Amino acid sequence: MILEQLIGNLIQGLVLGAIYGMATMGLSLIFGVLRVVNVGHGAFIMVGAFIAWWLFSALGVIPILAIPVALVIGLALGFIFYYSVLRRLIKAPELASLLATFSIGVLLEETAKLIFGSEFRGYNWAVGKITLPMTVLPMTKLYACLGSVLIAVLLYIWFNKTRAGTAMRSVVEDSEGAKVCGVNVEGVYAMSFALGIGLTVVSGVLLTMFIPVGINPYMGGPYTLKAFVIAVLGGLASPYGAFFGGLVFGLIENGSYTLFAFLPGVEPFALTRFFSCMMLLVILLIRPTGLLRAK
Amino acid sequence: MLKVENIESGYGSMQVLWQPSLEVKKGSITSLLGPNGVGKSTLLRTILGSVEPWHGRITYEGRDITPLPTHKKVDLGITLVPEGKHLFVEMTVHENLIMGAYRKEAFQHMHDSLKLVYALFPVLKERDKQKAGSLSGGEQQMLTIARALMTKPKLIMLDEPSQVLAPKLVGEVFETIERLKAEIGLTILLVEQNAEASLKAADYVYIMHEGRIKAEGGAEEIAASRDMREAYLGI
Repeated sequence: MILEQLIGNLIQGLVLGAIYGMATMGLSLIFGVLRVVNVGHGAFIMVGAFIAWWLFSALGVIPILAIPVALVIGLALGFIFYYSVLRRLIKAPELASLLATFSIGVLLEETAKLIFGSEFRGYNWAVGKITLPMTVLPMTKLYACLGSVLIAVLLYIWFNKTRAGTAMRSVVEDSEGAKVCGVNVEGVYAMSFALGIGLTVVSGVLLTMFIPVGINPYMGGPYTLKAFVIAVLGGLASPYGAFFGGLVFGLIENGSYTLFAFLPGVEPFALTRFFSCMMLLVILLIRPTGLLRAK
Repeated sequence: MLKVENIESGYGSMQVLWQPSLEVKKGSITSLLGPNGVGKSTLLRTILGSVEPWHGRITYEGRDITPLPTHKKVDLGITLVPEGKHLFVEMTVHENLIMGAYRKEAFQHMHDSLKLVYALFPVLKERDKQKAGSLSGGEQQMLTIARALMTKPKLIMLDEPSQVLAPKLVGEVFETIERLKAEIGLTILLVEQNAEASLKAADYVYIMHEGRIKAEGGAEEIAASRDMREAYLGI
């Protein structure tokens, strides 16, 4: 009984984990290239969630088609915030960019509240489900999972096979070396920030496909926390590390949720959040370079 | 080919360069000598644009290039072998070389450039699938020079290429530099602390001290001047 429930939840965890992973790749990409920690990360997820909700409930556009829209809006937001704010802060002390990205997050949240109000939203895109031995998986969740994996694969190809992607890798490794090769490092910064934000906004759409409720201007906070844990799991500067970190995190979160639910007098959902904070602390203590990094 | 006039620059509010001027003639090896921390590296980085000039003028092939960003200068055929190598250690030797051919024009000549650098440094061809970080210090220095050659430069600036190398390898590096001039016809601006070897390789020498050019002259002339050697070079 417990085992069945656990396995069922672990399957769900793996599916959610793929989405978590994708939702962290943008954070890792931005940190890897610009060495800027985007504290406003969750707010961009919120933007994606609202895009999915609004397109579906106002225009009847299915969430899969919201993905390219979210990507374009995310890229645009990324370029706007890079050129208006972050460009000046790359060489500044870290606190400056932390405060700036935090403020961008607040700005997005309050703008969303101004437009949509603060109540919780949700949508219902019913396209059937598949029944697995231990659990039932709605097709929307499956689409979101496949979408995440596909985007991760595309990003991998982009990084390894395209000129622009290779330039990004070279800046991650050694920006001084990239400069003497003739890479426009400033341009790579702008492009990486835009792409990182674009991926994050897209992940907001994918997350609503898994959890189509609870869409609200302030929904981003817990996702920022989770993304930090996942990014640290995966080694912070590596988008692929982040993806695998997401898978691991999804499994741990759903697995621990199932087990906590059997403890009497415990609210399991709150405890999983405590558990993820503890994980972050413990990982930082024992392996500050990330669990999945070789060195 | 390259003319630097009264350049001032530095980091933050700290001024490092106090109006040094120098000229690099086409097809020559020009050497910039002086002790540690007098602004030699800063001057090279200012010429390439990774440090912004505050004042002064940089002319290359008759064209004012002072305000150009680094990647535009690489397009024009200027490159730098930076101090401390700055290789992409997680990439293979081959990938590092391909990165050198990043600019469009260099990319079109990538095949020829690869042949050239593999002929110059056969050891790199043997190790082309190895990660750059796994090479020995001497091989890494060769790779840094090779990567710079992949940009199809006309002017190559080398910043302390023999630093932290074993004495035998120092000789090899200088031999390579002379071959670059003789066989490929490159123009070279060389920053070194190894004054003796530099004086042998160079055609013309500038001596830098506290952000200024203190002396200049033909390499033989400087080498022959006892005062010069004692005052600035310690040899």
